[in-house]
Amino acid sequence: MNIKTVRMAKRMLGLTSAIAMVFCFTSCGQKAEESAEFKPLLSTETSCQIKVAGNYSNFESLESEFERFYEYYPNVSLNYVNLDDYNNTITSALMSDEAPDIYVTATWMLEDDKMAPVFENAEVLSDPSLNINLDCLRKGTCWTLENGDVVMLPIFTRTYGMLVNMDLFEMNGLEVPKNYNELVDVCDKLKAAGYEVPIMGANGMTVAGMYYAFAFPYFCDYVIKNPESVEALNSMEKSSGEMMRPALEKIKAFVDAGYLNPGLCSEQIEDDYNAVIMRFFEGDVPIMLGSGDMVSGTQKRESKSEAFLANSFKYKFFIVPTGDDGGYFLDSVNLFFSVNKNSQNLDMTNEFIRFLMREEELGNMAAIKRLTTPTNDFSFDEVYSSLEGFPEDKTFSYQETGLNDAVNKEFRAAAYNVANGIMTVDEAISGYGSLWE
Amino acid sequence: MKRTLIIIVDLLIMGLILFFIVQYANTKMRESNERVVEDFEKMTITAEQIITNYLEDEQHLCDIWANYINRSAEAGSPMTGEEAISFIRKAKISSSIYGHLLFLDKTSQSGISTHASSKDANDYSVSYRNINIFDNIDEISREDGKISLTRAYTNPQNGVQSIAFLNYVKVLDESDGQLSEAILMRVEPVSMLEDKLVFLKGEYENVEISLINKEGEYLVHGKSLKNSNFFEYYKSYNEADIVDYNEMTVKVTSETGTMTMLNSKGEECVISYTPLKSMNTWFLLAYIPAGELKAANTVVDWLLLGMVTLGLLSLLTFNYLILMLYNKKLAEAAEAANQANEAKSHFLSTMSHDIRTPMNAILGLNEMVLRDSHEDEIVAYSESIRTAGKTLMGIINDILDFSKIEAGKMDIIDVDYSFVSMLNDLVNMVQGKAQDKGLSFDLEVDRDIPVILHGDEIRIKQIITNILSNAVKYTKEGSITFKAGFEKMEEASDSVKLIISVKDTGIGIKPEDMDRLFVAFERIDENKNRNIEGTGLGMSIAQSFLRMMGSSIEVESQYGKGSTFSFELIQGVKDWSPIGNYEETFKRAVSERKRYRESFTAPDARLLVVDDTEVNLSVFKNLLKRTKLQIDTATSGNEGIALFKQNKYDVIFLDHMMPDKDGIETLKDMEKIQDSPSKNAPIVCLTANAISGMREMYINAGFDDYITKPIDPERLEVLLFEYLPKDKIAPASGDGDEEDYYIPDFVWKIGSLDVNAGIIHCGSKKSYMDTLKTYFDSGQKNAEEIEKYWNEKDIKNTTVKIHALKSTSRVIGAMELGEFAARLEKAGEEGDVTLLETEIGNLLTMYRKLLTEMELLGRTDGEEAGSDKPLISEQDMKKSYETISELCEAFDFDGVAETVKSLEKYRFPEDEAAKFETIKKAVDNFDYDLIPEIISG
Repeated sequence: MNIKTVRMAKRMLGLTSAIAMVFCFTSCGQKAEESAEFKPLLSTETSCQIKVAGNYSNFESLESEFERFYEYYPNVSLNYVNLDDYNNTITSALMSDEAPDIYVTATWMLEDDKMAPVFENAEVLSDPSLNINLDCLRKGTCWTLENGDVVMLPIFTRTYGMLVNMDLFEMNGLEVPKNYNELVDVCDKLKAAGYEVPIMGANGMTVAGMYYAFAFPYFCDYVIKNPESVEALNSMEKSSGEMMRPALEKIKAFVDAGYLNPGLCSEQIEDDYNAVIMRFFEGDVPIMLGSGDMVSGTQKRESKSEAFLANSFKYKFFIVPTGDDGGYFLDSVNLFFSVNKNSQNLDMTNEFIRFLMREEELGNMAAIKRLTTPTNDFSFDEVYSSLEGFPEDKTFSYQETGLNDAVNKEFRAAAYNVANGIMTVDEAISGYGSLWE
Repeated sequence: MKRTLIIIVDLLIMGLILFFIVQYANTKMRESNERVVEDFEKMTITAEQIITNYLEDEQHLCDIWANYINRSAEAGSPMTGEEAISFIRKAKISSSIYGHLLFLDKTSQSGISTHASSKDANDYSVSYRNINIFDNIDEISREDGKISLTRAYTNPQNGVQSIAFLNYVKVLDESDGQLSEAILMRVEPVSMLEDKLVFLKGEYENVEISLINKEGEYLVHGKSLKNSNFFEYYKSYNEADIVDYNEMTVKVTSETGTMTMLNSKGEECVISYTPLKSMNTWFLLAYIPAGELKAANTVVDWLLLGMVTLGLLSLLTFNYLILMLYNKKLAEAAEAANQANEAKSHFLSTMSHDIRTPMNAILGLNEMVLRDSHEDEIVAYSESIRTAGKTLMGIINDILDFSKIEAGKMDIIDVDYSFVSMLNDLVNMVQGKAQDKGLSFDLEVDRDIPVILHGDEIRIKQIITNILSNAVKYTKEGSITFKAGFEKMEEASDSVKLIISVKDTGIGIKPEDMDRLFVAFERIDENKNRNIEGTGLGMSIAQSFLRMMGSSIEVESQYGKGSTFSFELIQGVKDWSPIGNYEETFKRAVSERKRYRESFTAPDARLLVVDDTEVNLSVFKNLLKRTKLQIDTATSGNEGIALFKQNKYDVIFLDHMMPDKDGIETLKDMEKIQDSPSKNAPIVCLTANAISGMREMYINAGFDDYITKPIDPERLEVLLFEYLPKDKIAPASGDGDEEDYYIPDFVWKIGSLDVNAGIIHCGSKKSYMDTLKTYFDSGQKNAEEIEKYWNEKDIKNTTVKIHALKSTSRVIGAMELGEFAARLEKAGEEGDVTLLETEIGNLLTMYRKLLTEMELLGRTDGEEAGSDKPLISEQDMKKSYETISELCEAFDFDGVAETVKSLEKYRFPEDEAAKFETIKKAVDNFDYDLIPEIISG
């Protein structure tokens, strides 16, 4: 059983993830209107306890959903438990007498043999009898097994892009750029207006670093357009490093033009999360590159920034327009929920999931956490309003590229080295396959 | 109080009652709440004890394990880790309790467990490398009984949320054979602890027990407390500043107490907290929705409050309705009272006229008696009548004034007046009375008082008269001092303050009677003053008048010694000339008046008097007989107007109250007539309306003056002296009047005639004889006419004729016949034909009998005819006939009568005498249409 599942997961990821996504596209994102009004299917008098286990120490957005669910089922008690050493303990927990009814899962778990029990215990949520509305989910956020079963449902997603200080733009009579030329133009104008470094971010190799947000979606798009390169890239063939050239050259160009200043960013921004946000709140940075996690962190930090409290400003998240006709929306799921099929209160657990899988609830949770919702409705949080109606042909998930995690890391290393002048673009390209070490 | 005000006051009282109830209930509720909170806190402490007991027990079990292992080491036979775990495996009872032994010297924080991993049945190893619970490893106690407890964490072996009790043990390290220290953990699922808390649900349905550490992280928590940290949770849903927040965290982690806060839904909830005893690391929180504590607390009886409110509202509505009902009744009563008052006013005004009219006759005729009678006894009686009559008039006047004041219809009418003149009247009025009682009347009048003042003369005079009259009434001996002074007003240069006081040496007033002095109808010292006449209204009226003028009477009195009544009154000044020495002025005036009164005749002056009552006319004429004035009379407004058109009168008197056309209407008509020879004659109103304020009314109506009935002969003569042209006034002739006029004996002997009454009615003996003759001359014809109308069954004209018979009979003193006629007249008016049928014959018989008895009059007349009268000239006679003919053509029968009457002064030639007699008879019988025929022969 254990082995079989692991195999299945491997197959799914290694060979058929693209197909799996296709399944998903066909089954999700069609009948969003169904989620509008929740109608309880079980007796509202039902009394039971449901436990949700996860790795967040604090899950306020979920607790908010508990409260909303209580309006329909007042006698149900929902409880969130943060498991220590989640990745190691969740499998044991699922086997224990106090197994959680709902638990957090992630895509990497599919690849990990040790995590097999996690999926062995998972309820098939695409079972039509459960009436869970998967259609509200955005293309690229819904993962299915090879056989079409959905065992994990996206709760939060994240993307990569830039926070724009809207007041600063307005003050300088600037519009948020929509394509690469406009981006360059805006940077020139900002420099002319006295903003020495128009674009900032964390100078690092993480996914939260500025080069990842700036150029990685652009690179992914290039790969998607050239699918034949995927295998070579995944197998770390040196020659395939050439695929990185367009993206790396744009990074180089921006550093050369002074739009990006890695040294200054290192000096002023110590880490890729808190420091990024706090620097942005200083109010003098027109554009701050980063991930959705950075946006999520803004909410609680507004009140912690003295500069922002003194001079608050309006800011919004945008995809970086690195392409000639705009940017690329790299969609990645941040957190999934799975249901323990052995749950003693399986019906009510599924009912809660059915309740949660609606634009309104997912939007509400995302707004509280300030991450992007897995649905197409971005109206819950104005900071993400620019994503509303983003062109579908420029939206994709990392999995859709077919690239593995190693490619991701090679690109991040290449970008960092080029930007910091450690390597030339050519050197980075030729070093592909050994850059991350 | 207005209705709205009553309702407001009622609502206010209601509000206050409800406010009190609510306040009281609130206080009670607060107390009860405090009690409830106290109870809740006690429950928390109980829970804490239970948990502490549980934890102590569990720690104790952990300590037993440790002691056993340690005692083995101390005994020189230390256990290896495996042996220790094996021992524990045997010692523990519950399979859900794990024993973990962690070796301190191993950096991996790993060790061995009593249980195999749930993932691998052969794996008994346990690692805490990824579970951060040993940050404060030094705090683990080595003492027995002291609880050393981890936070809630995930048992790495089974993924179950657990807590662990800790102790140190010494075990043998097999690798080096040395004793080493290890941590012994008694690991229990948190759910076991949670189960211990379930028992509390009985008392409070929604209570949730949580345990937190010093940082606020939960060991266990109920579903309502969100977040992983209580303090973070508090911060998320409660707006507290940093100081309050810090205070809260300190309190929660150091003492027992209760606080309220908002939960994630924004609802109020109560949290009771207490530290776990014997541990300073864990704290118990008992959470309950505030609503549940309040629901359990039902001190405020809302039903009671509602019922009280409803009851009060009902009461208010009921009271309001009753109030409305009473108001309605009151309104009806007030309406009735108003009607009664109106009836009273109507009665009084009617009385004014109805009493005054006969009083006119009484006093007027009495005046004539006084003048004409030479019998002392009669004069004395007559004097008594005059005094009583005047007193009665005074009383009537007082009652009228009082009723008018009461009705609020009394107005103060300011006019310019001569102060001296007013003084004259007052002094004249009082001096005589004072003298009569043998009192000395002293005057002290400031010589500088301005001569013409502006104020309500009549009222002031009334006030002073009242005071003076009282002074005279209540003073038996001594004096009455009348003082008049004044002060200039600083603030008003055109006014003065009159200061009037009357001091007497009378009976005085007891202090206790002072209050009753000005109360209407109250008479002080009634027993003593029984013989003093009066209504008790005088002072009340005087005081009322003064109040209306902004002043009041001041009284100083010493019982038995006398009183001083005084008042001050602001009067306008029209002429600042000082009045001078009043005494002198007064004396001069009195002597002047005497002079003209005594010498006043005006034979050339002609008066017109219009009054619907013949007797009044008769009285009027006779009162002025000695002045030799020519007096024409008319009994209706129209008749008066006819004379007014034709003749030149020097003064005209018009009665106010007349049927058909009253005095004022007659006056208006007269004013419209432009070509009257009497156009500029002053017109004086005769009125029985003595109500104050009448003077103004008559003056305003267009009269030049007025005189009240009963007519005061002196006042009448003074008035005439004023209005008659001076050239027509001559000194009194001094020759005798008709005192010696002879009334034949046979007249006195006619039994059915009251000659004296007749004389009184007619004003003089001569007038009486003339009247008697007229009565006789027209008698037969009149009787025939009554008979004729009766036979024709013309009831109306029969009645008119009988009416005339009644009046004329009464005038000549044929009282019995007059009464008989009056009875039949009434019967005629009422259409009582039966009575007429049976009695009219008797009436005519009585009438004709009287006429028979009077037959001698015809002869007397004949004998007297032409005696000493001048013979009329042929020319005058013709001219007179012409005038009469013209007047007849113009239907001016009064003119005819006048002319005929004027011709009576002459003796006619024998051949014309019969003709003239025929004319006279025709005039007497009102056969004016026959006259031209008679003249033309």
